[in-house]
Formats: sequence, C-alpha cells, structure tokens
Amino acid sequence: MLQGINKVGMHEWEVPVGYIPDMRVSGRLFLSDELGVTLEEGAARQLANVATLPGIIGHAFGMPDIHWGYGFPIGGVAAFSEEEGVISPGGVGFDINCGVRLITTPLRLRDLGDRESIIQKLYESVPTGVGSKGAFRLSGSALDDILALGSTWAIKEGYGIAEDAVRCEEGGFMKEAFPDGVSEKARKRGIPQCGTLGSGNHFLELQVVSDIRDEETAKTFGIEEGTVCCMIHCGSRGLGHQVCTDHLKSLEKASTRYGIKLSDRQLACAPLTSPEGNAYFGAMAAAANYAWANRQIITHQVRILFESAFGIAYKEMPLIYDVAHNVAKWEEHTVNEKLQRVCVHRKGATRAFGPGRPELPDIYRKTGQPVIIPGSMGTASYLLAGTETAMMKTFGSTCHGAGRVSSRKDAKKSVRGAAISSELKKRGIIVKAPSGDAIAEEAPEMYKSSDEVVRVVHEAGLSRIVVQLMPLGVIKG
Amino acid sequence: MSFEELEHTADVRIRVLAKSREELFISAANAMFGILYPGECSIRSEKIVLVDGENAEELLWEFLSELLFISEVESFVVCETTVQFTKGGLTGLIRGEPFERNRHGGGREIKGVSYSGLFIRQEGAEFNCEIIFDI
Repeated sequence: MLQGINKVGMHEWEVPVGYIPDMRVSGRLFLSDELGVTLEEGAARQLANVATLPGIIGHAFGMPDIHWGYGFPIGGVAAFSEEEGVISPGGVGFDINCGVRLITTPLRLRDLGDRESIIQKLYESVPTGVGSKGAFRLSGSALDDILALGSTWAIKEGYGIAEDAVRCEEGGFMKEAFPDGVSEKARKRGIPQCGTLGSGNHFLELQVVSDIRDEETAKTFGIEEGTVCCMIHCGSRGLGHQVCTDHLKSLEKASTRYGIKLSDRQLACAPLTSPEGNAYFGAMAAAANYAWANRQIITHQVRILFESAFGIAYKEMPLIYDVAHNVAKWEEHTVNEKLQRVCVHRKGATRAFGPGRPELPDIYRKTGQPVIIPGSMGTASYLLAGTETAMMKTFGSTCHGAGRVSSRKDAKKSVRGAAISSELKKRGIIVKAPSGDAIAEEAPEMYKSSDEVVRVVHEAGLSRIVVQLMPLGVIKG
Repeated sequence: MSFEELEHTADVRIRVLAKSREELFISAANAMFGILYPGECSIRSEKIVLVDGENAEELLWEFLSELLFISEVESFVVCETTVQFTKGGLTGLIRGEPFERNRHGGGREIKGVSYSGLFIRQEGAEFNCEIIFDI
C-alpha cells in the first residue's frame, strides 16, 4: 500500500486529513491487500483532492475498482450538503448516466443454437462504434420529451413495458431535468444517436447465469441458473458529452467567482445553491434522462430480435434493473442521526440502496436494490443486492465494474485484438467489434479481476453477491 | 510537427510539440482525428470553422471541441486542417470527406476535450502542450 494510507478495517483504508493540504474530511478506500498493490498514486491523490471540496460530508470514498480519472478518481463517491456543498462535472464525467441494465430470458444455452449467428444479428441490430446512428430519427419535440421523461417517454412510445421504468433508478427519469438548459449543439448530437451503444468500454453482452449464491434473493430478482441474460452498458452519447463540455468552462469560472480554492482545476465546481450549479444540475439531469431512453430503446431492439429469432414473447424478457454509474443525485441519508438531503456524486460507482428504502420498487423493498457489476471482456459479471451497511458507510454506494489497471496506450502495445478474439472464441465467447484496437483496449488483462473487486465489496458489506454470470458473446463499439 | 501519446489509465493523454502556434493547433487536431478515424481519408470537400477564446488554452480547447462537434454532427472525416489566427480568435479550414463506416469506422470515440488539463508552454522557439481526450 502507498505510504501515508492506513488500514482501519478489513478491506478498509484511511487517506488521513493532511495527506495533501486543505482536506476537510479523510478519504476511505475499500481494497483488499491484493488490490492495494494496484492503487495508483494519482488515484489516491485525486481522492484526497475530492476531500478538499466545500460542503463534503463524511469522507471521500474510493471503491475497489478505483483508478485514475478526470477530477474525481473513477470509483469515487462523495456527498455534499445542500447549503454548503458543490456540484462538479469532474464528479460525474463526460458520459452522464453511463449505466448498466440486465434483462433475463427464458432461454437456456441449448436454445441459443449457433452463438455466432445471434451475436452477428445483435451486431447488425444495435448500432455501435464511431459514426453510428440510430434507426430512430427523432423530432425536436420528441427529444424534448426524452430530456424531460427519460425511459418513461420510450415506454409511452411503445419501446417497452410499464414495469421497465419502475425497475430503473429514479423510475427512469430525474424530475429535476431542465431540457431548456440543454444547448442546441447537444441536441444536434443527440438527435441521430438515440438507440446506439457508442464505443470505448460500452458493450452489449449475452451471458449465462453460472452460479446462484443467494437462492431467495435470486428468486425475488427473477433470475434462474442456466438461463441466458442480456447486459447493456452505455450512456448519454454525444448529447451528454456536449452537456459536460458546455458547462466545464462556466463552472471553472464559477469556482473563481465563489472563491473556491481548488487543489486540482479538474474539480471545477459551483455551489449547489448558485445559478451556475443549478444550470449544470438541470442539464445533467436531462442528459441522464436521455441515457435512460437510450438504454430503453436498445432493450426494445434486443427484445424484438429475440422474439423473432427464438419465438419467445416480449414480456418473457423482463428488465431486472437499470443502474446509473456516472451521476449526481439528491438523496436522503442519515447524517449524525438526522435525515438530511445531500447531493451524492457517483463517478464510476453504483448506488446500492439497502432493504426498506422508499425509492425502491415494492418487489425489491425487502431484498435491497439489484446492483449490476459488469466484468471485463471475457470475465464474470455479477448481480448483487444493496445493503444496510452501504447505507451507513458509503451513502448507499458500491463499485461499478472491474476497474482499469493499465493505460489504453499499454493495451495496444502489449495485446493484439485478433489474438484476444481467437482466444475468447476457443472458450466459446464470440466478440464482434469494428476494430482490433477496440478489442485490445478492453482486453481482460487491462482490468482488475472482477471476482476480486466483487469479493471485496461483498466482504466489506457494501453489497452482497446474489448471482454470477459468465459471458457467451459480446458486441462492442 | 509531432505528437506522442502519454500514460493515462482511463483516457488518452497526448503531448504536442511544434515550432509555431499554428503548428501546435494543427498537430493537436491531427492527433484528435487520428484517434477518431485511424484509416484512410481523401479530400473531397472543406469547411470553415470560426472560434474565439480569451487566451491560447481556451482557444485551443474551443477549436478542438468545435471540430469534434462538426465532425460528429456532419459525419465529416477530417484529413487536413489549417488555421489562421485573428484578433481574439481563429479561422480554421478543415478538409476531408463524408464518413463511411467501411472506410472510416473502427476508431475510438472521443467524448470530450478536458478543459482543465490543458496547458500550452512556449520554450524558446518551441511550443508544447498536453491534452487529455476523454474516451
């Protein structure tokens, strides 16, 4: 472990006040000894930087998948008080409401037939990669509705069933969205891209439920061993990226105007009570709604394809849940034994609300919310449940994935996309992507082990493992 | 006129070296389009870009963000860029062709140009800067 970081519990480390100057609170990292070795100095410093921001409550948190990002580390969580706190695009990211959803099917491996053929069909149905456009051409007024209503718009238009929205965080849309705050440029980028995956680490993966670790919760979640599921990972596309771009400059200027001393300019921010902070929040929420509509439309495309390919009904492919892992939200949490409204930033981190939370749909009220953690390409993904411990320790937050260990530059140097593809194919996993580099950058060895990351959050109590899923085939951007 | 990729875990960080401010801006644009469209490119049409900025860094950031925007919404692959500085801004000329998936696909999408990580330094007659592309 890096010098100056102290062990304070099993898998729990303290980045003490004084690690860098001006820290208002300490940092808390959740890492096993094994993952501790991979902690980058830059990521630890970024966590300490977050701890210097005004109005931060409790600690700045780093999840086991922590790595060096922009502003916040990826895998970073921080909650801010309504009166004194700030909002920062560096705590949300360019890809606003990048997130993951999981859909179950009644299919078993033998029903899939030729795996290559279904992956090819998915690749043809769901647009991926640079320059891809959606099959749905939206009008300007439809885009306004998407920005205000998120996945509930898509469902009303026939791209889903009512239950889908209930099974998204926030019911599929943030009510604080302010569509008029989304610039003309962002709209222009958003109109052709609804229903597209994008590139980078975004993917659509077919998986099989390989191991059930908690029978009763799995039953509540409606997931059975040996069945085929579909995981979708994408975000708000160019619209969200533009919303972030549009506000970076105004928030940097706001930091100066409000006299906020920044230990890193990448943490440019504005008070939650300021006009600049409010403008960003409203536009960010609208972009988050676009992301929910985007994932909903892709879900629809998959269901339509599966209906015709396998003769199963649309409603036999329910959504288990949809989680956002790049967003800032208003939530109520217990702080010093009092219920308090706080703004929680999760940057590459997942909400993991425990049992009893009123925000959860009735079916998950007893179990805690489903938490979906994708593995890296070719490795296991997990479905977990939120916990009371997460509510008490991390403002109801957990990890979001495996977490990078190597740079994209190293990836291209050390591995070739074609070699990875053929290696995965030997293991029965089909990969479709527009280029070898796209595969090389996302190679499993570029990531921490998802098994280890998930073991740590399970043992630290931040969420509990319910089901393990293994990949069958993946399409990438 | 050159650029190199530096270490960064999540994103693409580049360093650009140039003999003039014009070259610096052109190389930065070339680096960005090299990430987006690694394949071939032929000049079939051109577009003009006008941007303003309060200082050199802001101008470069505005320029790259504008190019990214135009390239995405107009499906335009850029193979050549020239710039001319004006009072308080610049005029850019970009040349290229419409995007075709089979010829230009397979690159990496750039989500945005990081504003705060961007610095331009002048050492003697040489200019250099570091830019983080969020991908």
